[in-house]
Amino acid sequence: MVECDFPELNSFGTVIRFALELEMVAATVNEQLANDPKLASASETFREIAANHKKREILLVNTRREKLNEMILEPIQDLDRERYIVDPNIPAGADLKKSASFAAGIESTSAEFYNDSSKIAKNLLSEAARIMEKMAKENLVNKSKLDAL
Amino acid sequence: MAVLSEVKKNYGKMKNYVNGEWVDSNSSKLLDMENPATTDVIGQVPLSTRDETNAAIEAASDAWWAWRETSPVSRARLMFNLKAIMEREFENIARIISQEQGKTIDDARGETRRCIENVEVASGITSLQMGYNLEDGAAANIDEEVIISPLGVFAAVCPFNFPGMVPFWFWPYAVATGNTYIIKPSEQVPMTSQYIFKLIDEAGFPPGVVNLVNGREDAVNPLFEHPAVKGVSFVGSTPVAKWIYKMGGQHGKRVQAQGGAKNSLVVMPDAILDKTVNNMLASFYGCAGQRCLAGSNLIGVGDIAEPLLKKLLDASQKIKVGYGLDESSNMGPVISGAAKKKVLGYIDKGVEEGAKLLLDGRNIKVPGYEKGHFIGPTVFKDVSPDMTIAKEEIFGPVVSFMAMDSLDDAIEFIHTSPFGNAASIYTQNGKWARDFRYRVQCGNIGINVGVVAAMAYFPFAGYKDSFFGDLHGQGKDAVAFFTDRKVVITRWF
Repeated sequence: MVECDFPELNSFGTVIRFALELEMVAATVNEQLANDPKLASASETFREIAANHKKREILLVNTRREKLNEMILEPIQDLDRERYIVDPNIPAGADLKKSASFAAGIESTSAEFYNDSSKIAKNLLSEAARIMEKMAKENLVNKSKLDAL
Repeated sequence: MAVLSEVKKNYGKMKNYVNGEWVDSNSSKLLDMENPATTDVIGQVPLSTRDETNAAIEAASDAWWAWRETSPVSRARLMFNLKAIMEREFENIARIISQEQGKTIDDARGETRRCIENVEVASGITSLQMGYNLEDGAAANIDEEVIISPLGVFAAVCPFNFPGMVPFWFWPYAVATGNTYIIKPSEQVPMTSQYIFKLIDEAGFPPGVVNLVNGREDAVNPLFEHPAVKGVSFVGSTPVAKWIYKMGGQHGKRVQAQGGAKNSLVVMPDAILDKTVNNMLASFYGCAGQRCLAGSNLIGVGDIAEPLLKKLLDASQKIKVGYGLDESSNMGPVISGAAKKKVLGYIDKGVEEGAKLLLDGRNIKVPGYEKGHFIGPTVFKDVSPDMTIAKEEIFGPVVSFMAMDSLDDAIEFIHTSPFGNAASIYTQNGKWARDFRYRVQCGNIGINVGVVAAMAYFPFAGYKDSFFGDLHGQGKDAVAFFTDRKVVITRWF
C-alpha cells in the first residue's frame, strides 16, 4: 500500500509536490514488482526503473531548492490535477504482463504530467521547464522498457 | 492536501548569541511569539537591555582586529562552509520562516534561496574587495594605490516581513570584508535568526565576529551611542528609517535605511493581459502584501482599464488563502492582530472616501485557522489619487485601481508620492518602456514584471522617502558601505 497525497496544482511548489508524489509512487511500485518472486525474470528492469525514480526525487527537491525564487511565485492555472493522478496499488495477483502494463501506465501519465507542466513552467522558469522535459523523455524510455517485458 | 510539518511547535525562549556563546538575556521583559496563522504561541523573545547590546558591541569590537587580519580567502572559506550548511538546512529554514512570519512555503523557500545567494556573492570577496593601483601614479618612481579596508563593527536592525533575507543583505558582506557584526532581528520574528545563528556557529566563525541581540528600542539605541559601531543598516517603516538616519548623523555613523513604499503598476493598452495579470498577482498578494516592493496601486491606461480590472478580479477570487505550510495556499496571513486591524482600517477608509469595493477580503474565514490574522485579496475601483488608499502604504493584500488617460498622467501620479521604492510598467512598446524607466523617480523599476527584491549581486535600491543613505544593501554597494578606500603613495629611495 502506497500512501500518497496529490495536491491541487496552483503554484510551482504544488507542481513539484505533485511530481514528488508521482516519483514516490513509481519508485515504490517498481520496487514492489522487483521484489515479487513471481516476476523474477523482470526484477532487474523493475529495479532499474525504481532507482531512476528515486534519483529523480532528489533532482526535484534540488530544483525546488535552487530554482524557486521570488520571481516565480505567480499562481499556476490550467493544470488539471485529476488527469495526472495515478493509482498506487498494484492489482492483486497480476502476472508479468499485467504488472508491467500497470507500471507502464504510471510512466505514461507521468510523461504527460511533465510535458504539460514544462509548458506552463516555460513562461516562469525555463530551467525548470528543461528539467521537466527531460523527465518526460525518461518516462517514455522507462515505458518502452516495461512494454517490452 | 497535507500541511507540512513544523520544525518545532514551540521554540522556547530566544537567546542572544554573543562572542560565540548562547546567552540568556537578563531582561524581565518577554514577548510571546505567535504563529500568525494559528495564533498559537511558538516561543518567547526577551527585550534585551542596553547593557546586553553594549556587551555584544564590546565582543564584536574585541574580535575585530584579529578578524581584520584574517585573509580574505579564509573569510570566504567560512562563507562557503555556511553555504553548504544552509543548503543542508534549507527546508527547515523555509518552514520556520513560514511558521513565524505567515508567508507561504514557496515564498519562504524563495526567501531562503536569497539568503544563500547573498552568502554565495560574499564568498567572492577576494575579487569584490580588490583595490587598484597605478605604477608611477603619483609621479615618476612614485606609485599610488587604493586599498579597500574594513572599518570595525557594524549592525543591522531588521524588519518582520523577511526574517531570513534582510539580515543577509548586509552581514555576509560586512563580515567577508573584515568587519564584525551585530544583528537585531524583529521581535515579531526572531526564530529564523535564532536558527540561522546555530548554522553560523557550526560554520566556524570566530567568537565575536557575528552576534545576535534580541529586543526593541533598548537593544537598538546603544548601536548609535557606542563609539565602536561604525555603521547601521535598517529596513522598516519610513518614520523609523528617518529616525535611524538622523541618529546615525548625530553620532557620526554610516547609515543605510530602507523605508516604506507605495508602488504603482501601470498597464498600457498594448499589454498582454493574461500574463500581465498573472504576474501582478504575485506582486499584490505575495507575502500578503507585506513587502516594500509589493504592488499597491494599479493604473490601467486607456481602453485596457475595464478588461484589466475584470481579469484581475477574476484571478484574485481564485487566490487560495491559508496556512503558509499548506503547499496549496497562495497567500498566508498578515503578521499580527495589530497589522490586520491596520489593514482593515485602510479598507474601511477606502469605502468611507468613496472608492468602490469590488472584492472584500475583510471577513475571510480559513477553515481550521479561524483565529488566524487572514485578510483576503481586496480590490477597490474608482480610486482617486487624493484618497488615502492611493497615497499611504497599506502593507496588506489591497489593490487600489485607477483608470488614467495616458502614460504621462500615470507618471505624474507616481511622482506625487513621497515614496520612491518601485514602479512597474506592462507594455509591448519599447518607447513607453524606455520613457518609464528613464523618467520614473523610483529606485526599482519593473518592465513587464512586478518588482521583486534585487538579486544578491545587485543593490536593493530606493529613492525619496523609501531610502535614506547613499549605498544600498547587497552586492557592490554593500561592499562599499562596509569598507573605506585607503590611498597609499609609495616612494622608495
